[in-house]
Amino acid sequence: MADPVGRRGFMVRLAAAAGVAAPVMGFLEGRVSALPKGEETDLAVLYASLAIEHQAIALYDLGLRRKLFPAGLRSYAVEFRGDHLGHRDTQIAIAEERGGRPPEARSDYEFGPLGSADRLLRQAAEIERAAQEAYTALVSQIRSRDYLLSAAFILVDEVRHLTVWRRVLGLQIY
Amino acid sequence: MTPATPAEVFGEIDARTAEVGERLRALSARRPAARAFARSLLRDHERQQADREKLRKRLGLPPAAPVRTPTADAGSLSALRASQQALVSAHVEGLPVLGDPPAVDRLAHHLVALARHLTVIDLWLEAEEAHG
Repeated sequence: MADPVGRRGFMVRLAAAAGVAAPVMGFLEGRVSALPKGEETDLAVLYASLAIEHQAIALYDLGLRRKLFPAGLRSYAVEFRGDHLGHRDTQIAIAEERGGRPPEARSDYEFGPLGSADRLLRQAAEIERAAQEAYTALVSQIRSRDYLLSAAFILVDEVRHLTVWRRVLGLQIY
Repeated sequence: MTPATPAEVFGEIDARTAEVGERLRALSARRPAARAFARSLLRDHERQQADREKLRKRLGLPPAAPVRTPTADAGSLSALRASQQALVSAHVEGLPVLGDPPAVDRLAHHLVALARHLTVIDLWLEAEEAHG
């Protein structure tokens, strides 16, 4: 695997906590080099992606509800939340079209203390990084063209989100 | 036009990459503040070009042909943005056509870098608009 588990650690922990299926976890952790090509794998990838989308939506919901995003960054948070809602709905539609039963959002997400804008933004950046890494890792395992195209579009959004938050946090972006 | 074969995918990506490269060089000449940014992106382009050559070999495709890049308004930031968007789209639309997981994986990593470049350009444009 190109990326060791350590570098992907947060994404792997997040995926595990979100209930991602064992075969996909094995791939994300680098224990298997490829997933079997097929409808079941596509559905497993869809569910893994959905789990992360649910978590991202929950974080933005919480931050917006508690007014934790600084005024100048609120529009980004609203935009990114909207993107994640769109990703969620697209993937639920794809899964249902294939007879799948996509996972629902959990009722209890644990984000730790989010008392300051800085903590919230760091948490948002971590979740976006997890989403970017998960989609980047999983996209080559998708069999069907329509889902692969959707995943590629979603990946572009995730990169945008992460890049914006990294810029806000003063981290390198190029 | 959506590419139908891996050869068309690589051809489209090469053409769009050359266009972005041309615009970056022109922007860099016009705005010294853009030089570090342009250098960084052009280095990424070189690495990606080398990867694509390896993938071409892997897929039994001929090497890249020289690309002509007639670019109007070469030093414009908004024109660079449009060309960068086209380069990102060439990757997005190309991934489902490749049919080879290692090639999809490599170009997905390129897509991440290119989407990041696009966002940096967007942020730059936003900053310029905010400052009139």
